[in-house]
Amino acid sequence: MLRLGTRSFGPGEFAVMAIVNRTPDSFFDGGATFAEEAALSAIDQAVADGADLVDIGGVKAGYGEAVDETEELRRTVDFVASVRDRHPELLISVDTYRSGVARRVGAAGANLINDTWSGHDPDIAAAAAESGAGLICSHVGGLKPRTDPHRMAYDDVVADVIRTTTALAERAIAAGVRPDGIVIDPTHDFGKNTLHSLEVTRRIDELAATGWPVLVAMSNKDFLGETLDLPSGRRGPATLAAVSIAAWLGARVFRVHDIAGTRQALDLIAVLRKTATPAYTRRSLV
Amino acid sequence: MPVVVAAVCPHPPVIVPELAFGAAPELDPLRAACLAAIDGLAAADSLVIVGSGPVGRRYDASAGGSFAAYGAPQVRVGDGEPVLPLSLLVGAWLVGQSKAAGVRRTSISVADDSPETCLALGREIAEGNDRIGLLVMGDGSARRSDHAPVHLHPRAEIFDATVAEALRSVDLDVLAALDPDLATVLQAAGRAPWQVLAGALRATTLTGNLTYGAAPYGVGYFVASFT
Repeated sequence: MLRLGTRSFGPGEFAVMAIVNRTPDSFFDGGATFAEEAALSAIDQAVADGADLVDIGGVKAGYGEAVDETEELRRTVDFVASVRDRHPELLISVDTYRSGVARRVGAAGANLINDTWSGHDPDIAAAAAESGAGLICSHVGGLKPRTDPHRMAYDDVVADVIRTTTALAERAIAAGVRPDGIVIDPTHDFGKNTLHSLEVTRRIDELAATGWPVLVAMSNKDFLGETLDLPSGRRGPATLAAVSIAAWLGARVFRVHDIAGTRQALDLIAVLRKTATPAYTRRSLV
Repeated sequence: MPVVVAAVCPHPPVIVPELAFGAAPELDPLRAACLAAIDGLAAADSLVIVGSGPVGRRYDASAGGSFAAYGAPQVRVGDGEPVLPLSLLVGAWLVGQSKAAGVRRTSISVADDSPETCLALGREIAEGNDRIGLLVMGDGSARRSDHAPVHLHPRAEIFDATVAEALRSVDLDVLAALDPDLATVLQAAGRAPWQVLAGALRATTLTGNLTYGAAPYGVGYFVASFT
């Protein structure tokens, strides 16, 4: 069971995480929600579309403008508190690699710390634990924050993902994070070439077999663009296909831009897997 | 006998069509330049391939290598366990397609050693009794552009231009003087192997020909032959 805030997600239950960046330069939205009002209305829309969680980021993942801890705090802490007031039931995740930020947003009401840079700051797990927040344990192949992969090589990329993320999960428990608040993320594209990300996607079942809830963050990413020769604005259908396969193979949390589309796909998969029932069935029965 | 002919090539995994898929034609000119330079090594009695690696080591001609770690397990060289580092793997893969494929060969990886150590290794290679063909695998800076794998560094372009001109004009003093610390910052994997080349060519009068010099993906690639 994955427990975050007031919510619990059992095996077979899917959680949809919306992406809202408080950055002027993120790759997909290009800064659309840098301003507070725009970010709040994006969250309102995500909630209306069926998001269980929202992932708030104050620093672009890729290379770009330097954002120090003070500026990252300025972009996230009060905003988390506003979102908490506005949507008491919504689960709030914050995408940060800094323990100082994790500590402050946890106090402001964040339920989950999305440590995309794989424990770069060794104190981040303890910081998450302080407020009772959960932690996402990521795999970036040893990259430093905000750097891109150059000729990454793995004997077996899936084995490396499992080894790294489960070790981080154990370390998080040792640091006091609730075991039922831990999620592992293979972190597509980070420290991986496209063939590596495709291989990870094909073998999500091996990650799920570790027993840790698996999050996938594939939405509109470059591995889809390279695979299908598509620019970033046209990868929606490919994202949904990847999400569906990952869900079928056992992933449980989906970090995406298109909440409504993802929710619809996952709702169907839940019925196909018999963890949910059809909304209604009249056809040929009356 | 000294080194009688030499070539310099880069070693990006993307040079292998089975890894590049639809991007493969973009590197047709680079592959053609590499193969032309390596074809020239067929005139030698034996081949020595030098490239960067995590440790300094010698490998015989049968040493195995595989592109599995990059996503193409079907592309292999040699026999047995894959042991060759990327630079020597790409070198063996290129040689295997060239007119020098039948020449007996040794491969040597060089760690991030001092210029003196690299120059000494080059001199040692040139001391053998064979008429040696030397293939040096090395890349320029991986920080050449905004979209480079490692973000743009203001000194990357001038560093690579300096190397290109030194290869073209066989300016061994310039190659010998490349600063290891700067090369590390610029992520130029070729520094140590190029300094091995500088040591090996010291006792020769070979002339250079730079046949490729570009950074199509933000990493400097050079092909040169020395005849």
